[in-house]
Parts: sequence; C-alpha cells; structure tokens
Amino acid sequence: MLSLTLKQVSLALREGRISPTELCRKCLNRIKKTQHLNAFLSVTEDLALKQAQEAEARLLQGTPKGPLDGIPFAVKDNFCTKNVKTTCASRMLRDYTPPYNATVVQKLLDHGAVLVGKTNMDEFAMGSGSTDGAFGPVRNPWSYAAPYREHAGAAPDSDWVIAGGSSGGSAAAVASFTSYLALGSDTGGSTRNPGALCGVVALKPTYGLLSRHGLIPLVNSMDVPGIMTRSVSDAAIVLGILQGLDIRDSTTVPAPSPLTELPEDFDVKNMCIGIPKEYHAPGLSEETLAQWSHVADMFERAGARVELVSLPHTQYSIVCYRVLCHAEVASNMARFDGLEYGHRSQVDSSTEAMYASTRHEGFADVVRGRILSGNYFLLKQNYQHYIVKAQKVRRLIANDFKHVFSSGVDVLLTPTTLTDAARYYDFTQEDNQTRSAQEDVFTQPVNMAGLPAVSVPTALSRRGLPIGLQLIGPALQDKKLLSVAQWIEQRVGFRSISEYGESSESKQLYDENYKCNLEKVRNGLKVFS
Amino acid sequence: MSAFRLFATRAFCGVPVKSVRPSVNLVTNDEQLCLQSRFTAVTRLFSSRPHNSKVPQVATWEPVPQDQLPTPPQISADLVDKLERLALVDFRTKQGLACLEKAIQFADQLHVVDTSGVEPMDSVLEDRTLYLRDDTVTEGDCAEELLRLSKNTVEEYFVAPPGKKKTEYISFETKVLIIMTVHYSDDE
Amino acid sequence: MVVSCVAASELLYRMNKQIIILYPKNLCIIRRISTTSSQWHVQPQPRARSAPHHLVGVVGLEIHAQVNSNTKLFSSSPVCFSAPPNSLVSFFDASLPGTLPVLNRRCVEAAVMTGLALNCTINRKSLFDRKHYFYADLPAGYQITQQRQPIAVDGMMTYSRLEGKKGSQVIRRNVRIKQIQLEQDSGKSLHDDVHSQTLIDLNRAGVGLMELVMEPDMSCGEEAAAAVRELQLILQALGTCQGNMSEGQLRVDANVSVHRPGEPLGIRTEVKNINSVRYLARAIDYEIQRQIDVLQRGGTVQNETRAYDSKSGETIPMRDKEGLQDYRFMPEPNLPPLIVYEDNASLPTGIDACQAVVVQKIREGLPELPSVKRDRLVQTYGILPEHSFTLVNEDGLVEFFEAVLKATKKEPRKVIGWVTNELLGHLKQKDMSVAESPISPLALAELLELQETGHISSSVAKQVFQEMWRSSDKSPLHIIQEQDLGLVSDATQLHKICQKVVDLHPDEVNAIRSGNKKVLNKLMGLVQKETKGRADPLLVRAILQEKTS
Repeated sequence: MLSLTLKQVSLALREGRISPTELCRKCLNRIKKTQHLNAFLSVTEDLALKQAQEAEARLLQGTPKGPLDGIPFAVKDNFCTKNVKTTCASRMLRDYTPPYNATVVQKLLDHGAVLVGKTNMDEFAMGSGSTDGAFGPVRNPWSYAAPYREHAGAAPDSDWVIAGGSSGGSAAAVASFTSYLALGSDTGGSTRNPGALCGVVALKPTYGLLSRHGLIPLVNSMDVPGIMTRSVSDAAIVLGILQGLDIRDSTTVPAPSPLTELPEDFDVKNMCIGIPKEYHAPGLSEETLAQWSHVADMFERAGARVELVSLPHTQYSIVCYRVLCHAEVASNMARFDGLEYGHRSQVDSSTEAMYASTRHEGFADVVRGRILSGNYFLLKQNYQHYIVKAQKVRRLIANDFKHVFSSGVDVLLTPTTLTDAARYYDFTQEDNQTRSAQEDVFTQPVNMAGLPAVSVPTALSRRGLPIGLQLIGPALQDKKLLSVAQWIEQRVGFRSISEYGESSESKQLYDENYKCNLEKVRNGLKVFS
Repeated sequence: MSAFRLFATRAFCGVPVKSVRPSVNLVTNDEQLCLQSRFTAVTRLFSSRPHNSKVPQVATWEPVPQDQLPTPPQISADLVDKLERLALVDFRTKQGLACLEKAIQFADQLHVVDTSGVEPMDSVLEDRTLYLRDDTVTEGDCAEELLRLSKNTVEEYFVAPPGKKKTEYISFETKVLIIMTVHYSDDE
Repeated sequence: MVVSCVAASELLYRMNKQIIILYPKNLCIIRRISTTSSQWHVQPQPRARSAPHHLVGVVGLEIHAQVNSNTKLFSSSPVCFSAPPNSLVSFFDASLPGTLPVLNRRCVEAAVMTGLALNCTINRKSLFDRKHYFYADLPAGYQITQQRQPIAVDGMMTYSRLEGKKGSQVIRRNVRIKQIQLEQDSGKSLHDDVHSQTLIDLNRAGVGLMELVMEPDMSCGEEAAAAVRELQLILQALGTCQGNMSEGQLRVDANVSVHRPGEPLGIRTEVKNINSVRYLARAIDYEIQRQIDVLQRGGTVQNETRAYDSKSGETIPMRDKEGLQDYRFMPEPNLPPLIVYEDNASLPTGIDACQAVVVQKIREGLPELPSVKRDRLVQTYGILPEHSFTLVNEDGLVEFFEAVLKATKKEPRKVIGWVTNELLGHLKQKDMSVAESPISPLALAELLELQETGHISSSVAKQVFQEMWRSSDKSPLHIIQEQDLGLVSDATQLHKICQKVVDLHPDEVNAIRSGNKKVLNKLMGLVQKETKGRADPLLVRAILQEKTS
C-alpha cells in the first residue's frame, strides 16, 4: 500500500480497500521506522489522524473532496502551517508557529489531504544537500536499499549518501513511502536536485503559476513551490489543484487552462527535443551522460526530432544566480530581528545590540555569510557593477531560452545533476557555497528564466543510486512538459525502491504485504516463462 | 529467472514498453540477490552502448580561468565593519573577510560577459501588470495572535531595548498612554 | 509688473514644461535658475534692500502626506487615528515571514489625483523598491518605496501670501514639485525611559504615504509655511489627505541651506520634528539665521539632521551617523510594475475596467482646487482677492459666507467684512474653528437684514453681534428688543433731540450756514451720543440739514 502512487492509493481508498485512518496510521508508523533518515522535523500525528477521520466520514457518506481526499502528504518546513511549528531548519525560527497556512498548503487541506509532518531541509533553503540545517542532515533512503548496500559493503551508518537539497526531507519522505506527495521549494534546483538523487518525480512549475503566499522566501524573484511525487501523473493531479491566481500574491498568473488528465498515449513523433550542448558541464558523470544519451535515442527511435541547440550563457548562470540570490537573501533576512517573532537574544543594552546578537545566535555561518556578501553587492558603490550587471546577464540567459523555444524546439532534455548522490562524508569536504555552485549548474538557469522543469528518475547508477533527467519547457506549458515526462517514465522502467528491498536491518518494513503477495508473484512469473 | 531476463531486455533495449509497475514487493531473498546481479549486468551492458550523436561526449566549456578575472579588490576591515553594521550580522572578522573576498572573486566572473546594449532584468514579470486591490478592510484586529509570537511584550506593545532615539512626534494621547502603561506596570 | 510676470511664467510653464521662477519682492532674491533640460535664464530683478554679498536662505521641503484611505498601502488592515495598540496590524504589517504586499488601488488613485492637481506628469509605469535600514518601528528591516520611478514627477504648485500693510496684497509664487512617490509609513516607538525600554505600536506601520518633494525654490519660513498651507488646502479639497499636522497626517521636513546669490548652493541641513505650520516658519527662519551666523563666524555648516525644539525655538543636532548610512535600494521583487492608463481607449483587452486606474477619468473627476475657488469667489461675488484668500484659507468659512448670502439680500461686498473681520476675528481670539462658531449663518444673516432694513445702525449691529456671541440662544431681534437698541426713527423725537443739539451749539450751526458742511458730522455725532447710537442717521442728517439751512 505504501509504495503505491497517489493515483493508485486514491483509488484504493475509494474502493474501500483501505480506510483513510488506516492509511494515515501506516504512514505515521513508517515515519517512526525511518527516523534514522531524519526526513521530518515535526510530525503532526494528532492533526493527521483527525484529518484522516474527517476524510473517512466523507468517504463513507460518498462525498469525497476529490483525488486527494484522505491522502497523506508532507510539506517542507519553510511553508507556513497554522499552529504547526515552521522552523526553516534554523535556530532563528526554532519555536515559531505561524498563525496562518500557506496558500498551497491550504489548497491541499481544502481537498481533504492529510498533513503528516514538516520535512527537513537546508537552513532557509540555502544549500544543495540538506546537510546544513540546524537539526541535522537528511539521509537518502537509497543508502539503505539493497543496490547501494551491495555496492558499498560497509555498515550503513558510516557511508550513507545525501538526499540532495535543499528540499531533501520532502524527497526522502516520498522516496521512503512516508507520504504520497510532498511540497518542496525550488529556487535554484532545490526540488529537482533531491528529486533526482532520491529517485522521485520532481516538478518545478512556471514561476507565478503557484502562489508563494506563506512560503518563507529565499529569492522572491525565483522561488517556486515544488511538487514531489512517485509518478508524473501524480504530479499533474497536484499541479491541477495548486495552480492559479492568488490575490494574496501579486506575482501569480492565471493558470493557462485547467489541468485535465495527462494523455495516456502521448505521441512524440512531431516533437522537437533540444539537447543544449552547454549542459555537458565539467564534472558530469559518465553514467549520467549515458542516461542522457539513452533517452535521446529513445526519442529518436519514436520519431521525434532530436537537435543539438545552444544556450551560450549557461556557464555564467551560476555566477549571476549567486549575486542576485545573495542580494535578495540579504534583504529577506532583514526581518529576522527577534522583536515580533522568532528567536530573541538576551542581550538588552540597545536595539541594535539585541538585533545583532539575535541574528548571530539564530543564523548559521552559511546564512550570515550570504547576508554579508549580499549587502556588499547592494552597496551604492557596487550596485551598478554587480547587481545591474547580473540583471543584464539574467536577461541574456532568459533570452537564450526564448530564442531556442521560438526556433521550433518543444522541450529541452538535460541531466538534472552532475552525478548520483555523494556520500555525506565526501559532500561535506567542500563548503556550502562551492558545493551549491557545482550542484546547481543544470537547474538554476531555469529559475533565472522562470520556466517550468521536471526531473524524472530514469535508472540506477553503478553504485545503486538514482539518476534523473530533466525536461525544460516554455513558460506556462507545464502540461505539455508533464506529458513528455510521462512518456519517458513509461519507457525507462525505473523501479521503485520497494522492489529492491532493503538491507537486513530494516527488512521487516515490507512484511505486511510480503507473504500474501509472494504467491501471486510466483504465479505471475510462472505465466511469463 | 528467465522471465526476469526477458523483462529486463525488453526494458533496456529502447523498445517502448509500458513497464508494469508492481504495487507490491516482488521477490524473496534469493530472488532479490538474483535481481541484484542481473541488475548490475544490465547496467554494464547499458553503459557500453553507442552514444547518441546529439549529446556532446565531452564537456563543452571550462570555468573562467583565473587570469581573465580582475584582481580581487582590497577590502578594508572598515568596510567589513560597515557591512556588519548595515546588515547587523557579525562574522568574526577574519572569516568574514575571507568569505566575502571569495564571493566577490566568484562574482567577478560576470565581467567577462559582454552585456552592451542589454537591458537589466529584475524580474520575469516585467511584462505583467500589478493587481490592484479594493480599499476594504479584511485584516487586522488580531493583536493577541501577533503578540503571542513575540518573546517580550508589555500590555499590547512589543518591547524593544532602548534604541538610538529618532526624535519622534508623540501626541498628547500617546503620552497619556505611556504614563498609563508605566503606572500599570508599577502596580504589578 | 509682478503679476504679469507670474502670469507669463505660468503660461510658458504650461506650454513646454520649462520652469521659470520669479522672486519678485523685498526679502526674497531672484536667483539664476537653469533647468536640466533647457538653458532658460531669468534676469535677476533689482533687489530691494540686500547687498549682493548678503547670505540668503534656500529652502526645500520633503512632505509626507498620509493617504486618506480605509486600508493600508499593501495590506487590508484598517487606517484609523487612534485605536488600541497593535489592533490595526495584519500579518504582513508585522512582517511575518511568507506574507506578501498587495497594492491598494485607492492609494494609487490618490497619488494620481494629487499629481494632477499639482500639474505633474503621471508616469504611466512606476516601480517599487526596498529601502533598507534597521529600526524597531520597521518590522521588515526595509521600507517599500518608489525610488527609481515614482508615480508622478515634474509638477508645479502656485501658492499665495498676504503681504503689505494689513495683509491686503496677494502675492503669488511658484514652487516646483520634484516628484510624488507612494511609500509605507513606519510604526511608532514610544520611549519609556523609566523602564529603559521602547514600546512598539505597529498600528501605523504600512499606512500609505505620498512623499512630495518640493524643490528649493523657497527662501524663508513664511514662504515655506504658505506653500505648505496651500498644499494642505489642495489635499483637503481632493480628499486624498486630511492634512492635519498635529495628528501626524502631514509631516514636513525642511532642507535648509544658505548661500550668496549667484554662487552654488551651500551645504544643507535637514530639519525634522515640526508639528505645525507656524513652527515650520519659525524653525526654518531659526535655521537660516543659525547657518548665517556659523558662516559669518568663519565656520562651516555640517550636512546633518537637526530636530526642532518648539519650546526653545531652536534646532538641535540629532544623533545621526549620516555618512555611514547606505540604504541599499533594491527592486521590490514581489510587485510587478504599476501601470496606469491614460484613457479607456488605451486599456488592453481583457482588463477589468474597475481594476485599472485611468488618468483621464480621475482628471475629469477632480474637484474645485483652492486657487480656482478663490478666483471664482472674486468673480461671482465681486469681493477683493485678499478676502477671497482669507475665506478659502479658513476651514468652512466659504460655506458659512455663502450660507449667509443665501439668507440675506445684502450685497456680498457688504457681508464679507462681517465674515472676515467680526466673525473670524472672534473665532481666532478664542482659537475656535468655524464649525464651533456660536453664531450661525442664519443668525448673522438675520442681523444683517435688520441693519439693512434700517432697524438698527451699523454701530449698534456690532454691539448686537457681541451679545449674540455671548448668548448664542438669543436671536438678534430678541436682543434688540431686550436692550432697546432699535433705531429711533420717530421724527418728532428726533426733531426734539436735534433741536436741542442745535440750540446748544450755535457756533457749529453758524459754521455750517457759512458753508462748512463737514461740521454737520460733528452735530450728527452729538445727536447719536444723545440717542446712544440708535438714531437713524439718514433721518438725523436730513433734519439737521433742514435746521441748519
């Protein structure tokens, strides 16, 4: 049950094969069993059960609210959830409980979904490994799956791999079956990166399509709420519910059309798939390259036109991103002073002193460093030289995409990350900034231009860890993008983690369905041979 | 075993086959190990396939070489002090300086890009118009909820330490309020 | 010559936005002004008194006017002058993370209206920015304002002053408006020195402000005060701001410097904490003098911020590290550009007409501005410009005046004196507003009717007025009857009294008979004394003339 897709479990609920409260309890138990992953910062057990009971009542009456009614979901801890702690994995907001729900969270709740908890992340979404939060790093569930364990050999606790970031907790939650969908945020790849490393579908919609009201911002002009699910059609269902104008967020745009079901048999014959040559960046692993090539082949064999294109300013994107990101961070973090909410220092001699020490105590080095450099770039004497220059480069990057899409290309196919997930030990050898610069190279140009992009898991690497590929589409063509993504998903045969089982320590997780289904499977195999 | 091999081959030879995703756990322990070895065999097979001609086989760019970058500016400790004061974050000066210099050096790569004649883009929404809201009251009146979030409040006020005084106009009514507040606190 | 110069300059201004400033009188010296877009030069007129090397003041103003709206600029919490602390605060106003600004259409309309009334160019597209600094009453650590591209620019306002003896000359001057921008107000911090803490009330945080910048075209406190007074009247007429300085709805900071005419402008200081128009004039004059003194002593003026202390009448330096401040302006990423449309025709398809702000519509709906009103009153009622100025300058006085006119047949020119002298004089003495007047327009009209129809003489009328002021429940007629102030028109009685006077003053009678008609007035005066001013003067004159012929 736990490893089903959202669509499948929703059907199971409506057919009465399982009840919402049972499902909720299963997920909550699973969360307890996967505590070692540190994917959750808070688990809303009582709230979830209450919501599940309400969903159950509705189902019994025959009035479910839709495909999400009774479905457990998780939310990254930078989305405001009313009366539920929202920390952004920072000491600054360690005890902060917002008095309102983020719009996207509210929409999910309005559709009957059940909130099981808030997921772990990098502090204030700064990072690409989910290793820099104040409450510990997130472990990639694939660290405990058989393929990796076979390869690694050593004990799981010493060489587990990162989940990616900054929405690592959400990706780990979906990948380890504690929830059927999870919300992340994507500023430079923070949803797609962990999605690829944890082997789940990760969608970053067009900028402005989903409301940011209630999403604690990193970079307002690039942030987008991200959707993580186990299948592309799940992501489409969720997108259809979440998209649309929100008067509380002046940067939202009306949805181009209501999202109906994705076509089952999407035809790629007349499509043009672009391969941007700059996306073979230094450091790209051989395996990821092979995957990229393989999927390109698949398209060609199906009759699509695959073309090499160029996005010439790609390599400067990360620099541009760095400058603009730091500037906005410096600004957005100015509100954290301990006066109205959040951590407050005991230092009392003057307002300035209190602010300064509150911010010292509440922010980690990573955050403070970015605030400092952001303020440097914003100084009157530097503004033209750095900020305006970066804004110009941003336009060049956005124009690169515009040019490519207006010359007949329908979608772009690229890798999502340079390699599969790194070991925590290796990842933390470099500092946060350097790591981000490397890891975000394929994902953040998309945020610069505000375009939609989705990462689809395609295969496991030699080390037994997922590799994902990214599709990028023109603005507001999220539906077409997902259709193409589904096409890939149907053909690559990526297996869910459940199919590999886990190392002996955590094998009992699947015992509930194990025995009764084994017979069925053996019979099935007999039929085949 | 054979069934699996068939399945695997079909999946990985690029023939469009809609993979049946089993909803339950498939295998026994033994079968699991078999799957594993089968899997690794498949991967090895997979990575020796011919490369798609459209996908570049080698990296198509290199990071900007050091000599093309301008020399990093000398940042005085004074400037770091000023920044720390403007931003109200302290950064243990030496570390702060190093971190800042690194960031600036990285950002200097921007200057190798030719942006003549390019308009700066501050948002992807520059072609959108701003939504204008009606002038009707729908918020406010939640003092209790807000004050609950703060660690230091007095009556219905947020409390800050004595700050640098901006000479602020205080109306008569407000002066009375202060006196009342002070008296009230004294009574406790 | 003065008037025609001003009229010509206004014409030129309207033609092509070239700005010519004239300072035509005594204390204020004409400077050579060249605008950035043209090379217009104004020939300096001969200065009345000062020598060429004399230091003179240069005054610009930075005015913050609270927009008169139901809700705040970016959130829909209420705007209200006094309310329990923090009760008018929304999540956005308290800067709770994740909240976003949503612009209030009313504030945009108010800014456009104000811009049009001040002859500004309305920017079709304007942008919002963040201005960063830390202060306890600024929860987000930044203020949202319009630094790069404000909503209105390049305007001009004409204001008037009363000068000359008895304030009987109306002098018109112009001041350029550099720009009008929309921005957020901050909260209030109340310093509690007893407990060594600061109490923060965010009720005012986020209220919409229009910041108006007036170029340094003024030269002394009086001019600045007159300009601000005119602005108050304009804003009140538009309804975009209530303009009450004591309630903080209108806040004025003055930028003051001194220089020798023809030389570059001197270092300026900013003077803050001015709570009334009167204090504004005093603060500026003090500061000009202070700077002159400093320079004459051989010192230099510091570029600093000073606070006005109304008790001592001085400006005091504020503890402000101006040199180390850098606001690090940045575009506000959560607000796309603000577009206003010229007319309905330029509205893009698909846009809701009531969503958009259309300049033409606002222009057509502008109410009568004070300057137009003054001219209209002069035209309609034939009153003098200075009377018109006084009428418009006082809240409610025009309405009072017009109400009186409706109820009496008396000519406006005869009524105006009563309103601007008697009524206003009494009100000013008691520091009362027109609305608080114990004498209603109808009552005054009744009194004037009685005088007009000959029931009482003018001097008696004044007496009755005083009585009416004291006991507002008594009607004029009542008072006249009560105190027997009615005009004596009984011919017989008058004859008797006149005869008596004539008999007592033979010399005067002789003088009249021999041609000195003016002496008749003396006799009349004596008769009036006898009758305690109640004699009908026309009748008395006639009788006396008869008796002395």
